[in-house]
This record gives sequence, structure tokens and C-alpha cells, in this order.
Amino acid sequence: MTLAIEVSGLVQTFGPLRALDGLDLEVAEGEMVGLVGPNGAGKTTLIRVLAGLLRPDAGTARVLGQHPGRAVSASIGYMTQAPALYEDLPVRDNLVFFGRLFGLEADEARARAEELAELVALEGKERAPVRTLSGGMRQRTNLACAMVHHPRLLLLDEPTVGVDPVLRIRLWDHFRSLNAEGITILITTHVMDEAERCSRVAFVSDGRAIAEGSPAELRARAGATALEDAFLTLRDAVEGPS
Amino acid sequence: MSARRIFAIAGRILRQFRHDPRTVALILVVPILVMALVGYLVGDAGKEPLPVAFVNADAPVAEGAPSIGSTLGAALALQTGIQAQPIQDPREAERRVRDGDAAGAILVPDGTSAAIIAGEPAQIRVIVGGIEPGLDDRVVGAVRLAMAEVASAAAAAGVATPQVSVERVPVAGGTDLSTLDYYAPALVVVFGFLFTFMLTSVAFLRERSSGTLERLMASPASRLDLLLGYLLGFIGFAMVQALVILGYAVWILGVHIAGPPWLVLLTLLILVVGVVNLGIALSFYARNELQAVQFIPLIFVPQIFLGGLFWPVQMLWTPLRLLSQVFPVTHAVVTLREVMVGGANVAEVAERLLALAAFAVAMLLLGLLALRSQRA
Repeated sequence: MTLAIEVSGLVQTFGPLRALDGLDLEVAEGEMVGLVGPNGAGKTTLIRVLAGLLRPDAGTARVLGQHPGRAVSASIGYMTQAPALYEDLPVRDNLVFFGRLFGLEADEARARAEELAELVALEGKERAPVRTLSGGMRQRTNLACAMVHHPRLLLLDEPTVGVDPVLRIRLWDHFRSLNAEGITILITTHVMDEAERCSRVAFVSDGRAIAEGSPAELRARAGATALEDAFLTLRDAVEGPS
Repeated sequence: MSARRIFAIAGRILRQFRHDPRTVALILVVPILVMALVGYLVGDAGKEPLPVAFVNADAPVAEGAPSIGSTLGAALALQTGIQAQPIQDPREAERRVRDGDAAGAILVPDGTSAAIIAGEPAQIRVIVGGIEPGLDDRVVGAVRLAMAEVASAAAAAGVATPQVSVERVPVAGGTDLSTLDYYAPALVVVFGFLFTFMLTSVAFLRERSSGTLERLMASPASRLDLLLGYLLGFIGFAMVQALVILGYAVWILGVHIAGPPWLVLLTLLILVVGVVNLGIALSFYARNELQAVQFIPLIFVPQIFLGGLFWPVQMLWTPLRLLSQVFPVTHAVVTLREVMVGGANVAEVAERLLALAAFAVAMLLLGLLALRSQRA
């Protein structure tokens, strides 16, 4: 089993705040792992470390066998929590720009932009400036931008926040099919029914991974019927009831 | 209409100001800065006298009586705005003006006293740089002021209305230039600086606030890739703007470009490189577009007032003059005036271009430093 993500004892502080406090996590290639935890648990911080945007204070992080950073970034697709797009540019130009940035040739990037617009169901909107799009369309454009360079690993930070239920299901179907094609996915969420769709889930609380396993395993371990209750039970077991 | 609602809105606006101390400070600081600078510049106190060469070849008509030339010299010596430096050689005087060692040179020819007392026309020559009207006017003004002494000396000798004229001789430029010719170079620099700074700082701020910078930082692009890409894009934009402004100035307003036009564009190019990076670096100190735009008066006011656009830098109090040499606008304006008005070639403005290049490199490093905080 080759590891796509290998994190041990990761510590990341922002002033007095310990966003990550000795976090361990391993994700094998081809897995789809959900990082589940409340707001402020350290999920986004972990994603940003893996994307090479933060240098941890302690511990080690390796992605696709390398240190996070520019060298490995061409194999990683990073989707930010809020859509990070050029508002005045059409969908297509956004896609082509990020494609070029990640090293695609001009015609390759154009072809890929077309392909992706279809994949995320934005056909007919390619020429529309991003500012004219609805929230859901933006989020889909955002996802398309993260996948433009055929990444082997997708880091998705709360990709379905503010997305309506219909589209949320579609996006998840989409993640599943990408995963089925062999793309490793690390996805953060605080919506438990989304977490149910992951092959493996890691519960994160106060900067630490407190439990991991398949959703069924976690429920069984906590003796709970809902993943939400399992999280609370397992957290209390580690940290004491709050 | 409801008083309660009106007060609620007014109160909220005031409370917002309380949470934005930077804006409040700026509204108070900028007017005071402007008033202090204008007050200083138009006042008499705290100025350095302009060095002016004084060549007196005049001889007295009668033994013991002072010549008109030495009367003028004595009157000039009393003025605080200039510092008359008596020398003998008129060619040395002209060289000093040409090389910028003197703001001007005053030449009183041989026989001036004799001509005036005989009631014949006489002429005092004032050699000036010819590219900076603010500077030249000051030298000529000092001479005209001193002429009152000459008139009373002539009256004492029995000549009621001496026919003496002051001839202004520019070493560069020409006499057929309009005021616009002198200020067009300054305007081109000001527009180039202002719009480039505004556009880059706001563009980069958006890059940061929209999250796209994060995406760029998580890509294989290096910081240098990013800065050079920004540079190239904005240089293209700034050069188009410069061409439009210059084209309008030359073809519609009839402004002269005496030197090589490519040198004008090269100067603007080097300036823009520095300004783009300055905009990027400063955008990191702004939370929103308002704050980014607020940097403009802070950066701009000192450069406009102390950069030699209207008031010559030579007369500034020495620390202020040294400060003005750090401003890119100072060097850009002088270079463009020398090229457009004075017809200078690249060798003559090389030092100024190097100063601009140094600014550009310094700002590029500052930009790289600012971006460093964005990636591990």
C-alpha cells in the first residue's frame, strides 16, 4: 500500500492558538477519506499544510511521498472553502488560466476546460463571467479549477458548504466517480451524512485525530446509531465530557 | 421619515469609523501634511539658497564710485533665496549651469556702467538651465529684485530711467516653448505612477481577498513567476497609457519631444516596474480596496510637492532635498524634462535612470518579501 498522505505529530500554531496539536493521519492511494469535526477543529489548517501553504511548527507531513510544496503541487488539486475565482473572467478563461498555471499547453488547457465544463454540468455557461453565476455554479467552477490539471490527489475543503441538497448529492456522486477512477480524495466536512459516503472517516477535534475507521466501524465502536453521536461519544472518551 | 432610523444610520456610520482608526487618522493626517508642505514651500523660512554664479566684468566709470555690476553684486549678496558665487570666467559660469552645479549664472558685461550713465541701453545676461521653469524663474526673479538697487544707483548718477534689460538665456530647451512643454513631462509621470499604483494594488488586493492568491500559492508557480507575470501585464497596460498620453500631448497639444522618444518610454518603463511592485507590496497592508486607495495620498503627496514638479528641489532644506532623491517621481520628472525639453540623450540621463532602476529592484525585492508570508 502506497501512502498518498502521511502525517505524524503535526503541530501548527497561530500565535497562542494551537490549530493542530499533534495530528496523525495516513491516507492510502485510491482512498476517499473524510475529515470530520466541528468548526475550528483544525481541518482547514491540515489541508493548507498539505497544500504547501503553511509550514508546520512540528511533526512531519508528506504528500505523494514528497514534502508539501511547489514540487508536488502539480499532482494535487486544492479546492478552497470559498470559491477562489476571477469574478470578471468567464468560466472558461478561469479554467484555462489555472490549466496553464499548472503547466498545460494552451490548446490542451482549452480542450480540458471544455471537458470539465461538461463534467460539472456547466455547459452553456462557459462564456458567462463568474460574477453572473449562482452560488452552486461558482462552487462547481471552483471544483473544476481544482481538477483542471488531472491531479492524483484532491484536497477538498468543505466543498459543499452553502450548496443546495440536490447539487450536494450531485457533487458527491461526482467525488465518488473521481475516486473510482483512482484519484485519492481528502475531503473535510462537518455534515455527518456526507461523511457516511466516505470509505474512511477521521474524526478531528481540537487539532488532533481522535478516531478513525469506516463510518460503520466508528458507529459500532461508540455504540451509536448516528455518526454524529459517535463523534460526540468518541470525543468525550478522549477529552472527557464537556 | 423616522428620526430613530436616521439616528440609527448616522450612529452606525460613526461607530464604523471608530473601528477603522486608519481612515480617521488619514483624514486628519493628509490635510495637515499637505498644509505643512505647501506652507513650507511658499514661505521663505527654511530654504537653502540657490547657488548662482556671478560674473562681473563691469568697471566703474569714476574712481572710487562703485560700478553698476558691483552694486548689483552687493544687492544679490543680500538676498536669501540665492547664494551669489563671484567668479571670473563666463565659460566656467555656463558650465556650472549646464552641469547643475549652479542654478543660474548672472553675467554683467564690460561697459555696463558706462552705457547706463551715458543713457544708452545695457543688458544683463542671466544664463539658466531652461528645463525647469520653477528654478529659472527664481534666478531671474532675484536679478529683477536686485535691479531696484541698480536703478537707485543710476538715479544717484543722474540717470532717471536707465535702459537696462535682463536677458534670459537657457542652456537647454528653447525660447519658443510653452508652459505646457515644461509640465507635460511631469503629467506623464504623475499619471503613469498614479494609475499603475492604483490598478496593481487593487488587483492584488482582490487576488488576496478572492482567495485566488491562495490558489496561485498552491500551484507550481513561484513567487518570481507571479511578480514577473504581474509586471509584464501591467507594463503592457502602462505603456499603452503612456503612448496615448504622449500622443495626445504631441499631436493635439503640440508638446515638443526634443530628445529620443524611446528614451521617454524607457524611463516610464523603469518607473512602472518599481511602481507595480510597490503596489503589490503595499496591498498586503490593506484589508480592503478603500484602504489600498488610501495609500495614494500618503505616497503621492510628498512626491508631488517635494519631487520638483512645481518647486525646485535645489531650494529645499537639505534633509528634505535628500529625501526627494529617494522618490522615483523626482528622478522620472527630471529625466523626462531633460529628454523632452532639453533634448538629452541616454548618456546624459544615465545616472537618473540608474536611480530609477535601483528603485525598481528594491521594490521587486520588497514584493518578493511580501509574498513570502503567503507560502510555507
